Amino acid sequence: MDKLQDCVFTDEEIDILQEIMNIAFGSAAADLAEAIDLFVVLSVPVVRVLQAEELPEYISNEIQGYDKVSLVEQDFLAKFKGVALLIFPSGIGKSLIAMLESDVDSTFESDPLDALERETLMEVGNILVGACVSKVAELLEDVVIYSPPRVIVENLPYKAISQDMFEPGNLAIILHTVFHFNAQDVSGFLFLVCSHESINWLRKALYEFLKQYE
Amino acid sequence: MIKKLLIADDSPVARKILKSCIPKDRGYEFYEVGDGLAALQKYEEVRPDLTFMDLTMPVMDGVEALMKILELDRNAVVVVSTADVQKKTIQKVMELGAYTLLKKPPSKESVQEVLLRVEEHLENQKRAHG
Repeated sequence: MDKLQDCVFTDEEIDILQEIMNIAFGSAAADLAEAIDLFVVLSVPVVRVLQAEELPEYISNEIQGYDKVSLVEQDFLAKFKGVALLIFPSGIGKSLIAMLESDVDSTFESDPLDALERETLMEVGNILVGACVSKVAELLEDVVIYSPPRVIVENLPYKAISQDMFEPGNLAIILHTVFHFNAQDVSGFLFLVCSHESINWLRKALYEFLKQYE
Repeated sequence: MIKKLLIADDSPVARKILKSCIPKDRGYEFYEVGDGLAALQKYEEVRPDLTFMDLTMPVMDGVEALMKILELDRNAVVVVSTADVQKKTIQKVMELGAYTLLKKPPSKESVQEVLLRVEEHLENQKRAHG
């Protein structure tokens, strides 16, 4: 564990957070599998604490190998506050359209492909981000509201990821996992980036969560 | 009768949560490991009556560990304890031979229900083997 992380959270706090994320990602995967006939393989969630200005570089490094990405970005506002980023490799939007085809409204048929891809990514983003963030909030007894999602289709990673998610000098807590879509053999990344304003509340909420099991 | 319990989960917090849901007055012997390979090795060593197995773990995941444990002992009682509640996941682990699935986070009630079912299953197994 790095020094900055050590200063912000204890090992036990990181552990509780990781388990909560594990439960939340699992719940999100089940919701997505319910909506689309898709089997999602989850990886062990990762928790990191970074300086806000290091975020774009960190995310770019994590998604290395993707020349172009499509991205869904959504703010969540509550005591648990931050930005959710769902990042897919180029081309995934079209694959998801094929899977969603039976559910897609017929008015989409006349839409240009990029508009349809945008709608599809937004829908998948809504399901994954909503299920995941809401589950974290539920476990920590918080209630979250969301901003409308922003979708960026087929862009270079450094252009797609906002450089100014948080004020420089602030801390950001990153919680992320890799969703591997078995049928498509591609992976998507879900990052939850919490602002430093959440840290004190989060620490308290983590212990409250654990207290019920003591 | 359940005497030995093995909990395989990479998260110490998840293990603590699960243990807190298990009655303390039954004199169970607990064994804990943090990955699938360690679970397999511990299973071979102590032959637990009941194994709780997480799925998403480093080194060896829970699915592989489940398969290997059942290869070793086809009567092994492995309860998959997971947050991944996709229908296909449930179907897959049940087809592989998991005894049942326990959804995370567990509750005292859900764990108690599993324990009762396993006790009954072990009794039936004992009777069948006479």
